[in-house]
Amino acid sequence: MNESLNRSHNSVWLALISDTFQEARARWLFWGLFGLSSLLVGIFLFVLRIDVVQGAVSFMGIESTERPIYNIQKFVNVSYSWVSIVLYIWGTFLAVFASSGLIPSVLEAGRISLLLSKPITRTTLLMGRFAGNLAVVGLNHIYLICSIWIIIGLKTGIWAPRFLLAIPISLFIFSVLLCAVVLVGVISESAALSVMVAVALMLISTILAQRQIVVKLLDSQWSRDLWLGFYWIIPKVYDFGVAMKDIILYDRNADWISPAWTSALFGIAVLSGAIYIFRRRDF
Amino acid sequence: MKAEYAVETARLEKIYRSRFRGREVKAVANLTVRVPVGVKFGLLGPNGAGKTTFVKMLLSAVNPTSGAATIFGRDAREPEARRPVGYLPENHRFPTYLTGSGMLDFYSALSGMEERQRRRRAAELLELVGLKDWGDVRIKKYSKGMLQRLGLAQALMHEPRLLVLDEPTDGVDPVGRRDIRRILNDLTGSGVTIFINSHLLSEVESFCEYVAILNKGHLALEGKISSLVGGRGYRIGATGVPAEAMEEIRRSGASIFPGAQMDEFQVATREEANETIDRLRAAGGLIESVTASNTSLEDVFIQTTSSERAA
Repeated sequence: MNESLNRSHNSVWLALISDTFQEARARWLFWGLFGLSSLLVGIFLFVLRIDVVQGAVSFMGIESTERPIYNIQKFVNVSYSWVSIVLYIWGTFLAVFASSGLIPSVLEAGRISLLLSKPITRTTLLMGRFAGNLAVVGLNHIYLICSIWIIIGLKTGIWAPRFLLAIPISLFIFSVLLCAVVLVGVISESAALSVMVAVALMLISTILAQRQIVVKLLDSQWSRDLWLGFYWIIPKVYDFGVAMKDIILYDRNADWISPAWTSALFGIAVLSGAIYIFRRRDF
Repeated sequence: MKAEYAVETARLEKIYRSRFRGREVKAVANLTVRVPVGVKFGLLGPNGAGKTTFVKMLLSAVNPTSGAATIFGRDAREPEARRPVGYLPENHRFPTYLTGSGMLDFYSALSGMEERQRRRRAAELLELVGLKDWGDVRIKKYSKGMLQRLGLAQALMHEPRLLVLDEPTDGVDPVGRRDIRRILNDLTGSGVTIFINSHLLSEVESFCEYVAILNKGHLALEGKISSLVGGRGYRIGATGVPAEAMEEIRRSGASIFPGAQMDEFQVATREEANETIDRLRAAGGLIESVTASNTSLEDVFIQTTSSERAA
């Protein structure tokens, strides 16, 4: 009995995730996401073929064996870390745009009433859609980051597995932004507004992260507190990018714990709010 | 325990409040409806009467403001209560990126069916609704009538015990309507309860055994169609009838028109009229009038909704 219930539960999750994939594919989001990622991979391949870059790589390689004026390993690691930042920004922006419509579309009248008539909870429905979104973007992140890793590895002969940490890190920050996309989608049913809010969060996070400079410039304690308060509430997209760069560079002082837990807390709070509102809404 | 009613609501109510002005609209008011297991039940009412809101409350798409609803004795808000329900919504929007078979597979997976079972049943049902050759075609290529038939197949996929159909023949040509009626008629006797929400009186009259008419959000009439239409009948007006006696008379097959001044009871035969009068008097009710009637469902509908309007 329990086994059959589990099977039925699994089939519900699988159906919801696979439906998100099919919708992303049909709306060309899937192909768009992978197409643009492939474009970046192509640009990267092209850049590595430019004489200056190729020369620099050869130069570093030759010099490192004879006269180590520069550590080739360090050079490649620095390159990896900067590339990871580019991929982080590129991947997160694309992912937010690609997933913005996937929640509002499921809330369309005539579609949602049939979904709600099935023996599943509203929480399962929303979380299934959330998981489907994550899976689509996760696949794209794996494709993009692994491709770049393979290209750099083949080009330099140096394989830095830490670069692959960009996949879970980028996916984590995307999942936090996705929570906001879901909340706005559930409230407004607007894909455009969902994108606006997610992009605004990314930009605000960059501004708020300059807290050490701004706090010195602010003249009152309450305005400093307000700035810091917002800093701690808003997901730390910028800080997390910086932390990712440091982690890839083997920097033991990389500050990733506080950006991680505060961003996770933001995501959990916002997603709980989305679930609460979704459960109470009439369709 | 086996439930007596497929659907049972008690004083179900839905009030919509506008977000900023705080204005209230009562979409469904104090609705008590019982649909016995295995019957074909029609829900009628003019536009805006609250029919769709009522159905959506049953299926948890709309949260009731107050009151209760059960499906086969189980609280309708529980997901498990919806497992034996097949639903075809009005103005449905099936995902156009799916094929016919894919759509059946997706919705039946949500109902908890296993993959092998889904594949077998989808093939059977596509054949039953005349879409055998269309299973691999994307839904966006389907006509309105084909979508309706596919929607019916979707509702039947997991062999439901309660079939809720909201305007099932909407947009379907006469041949398609006949086919849908045939499919639904084939379910008769299988124990499946069919609940049809429709504005087509002839459809409900020809197919259903029981009917309820909603008007302005409340129940204007409920009863057996045979006692409302089909030749001569009798209408008895009475006052001071206790609720228990009303329930007993309803069970005997009479249709009840609750009224502010007096309650009216419609029965099909003279014998039933006499029995009803005996029951009413035994319960302490006072007979106010007894009239012979000869009505169609359309007469009943117009009379019911226009008298409500006048009130």
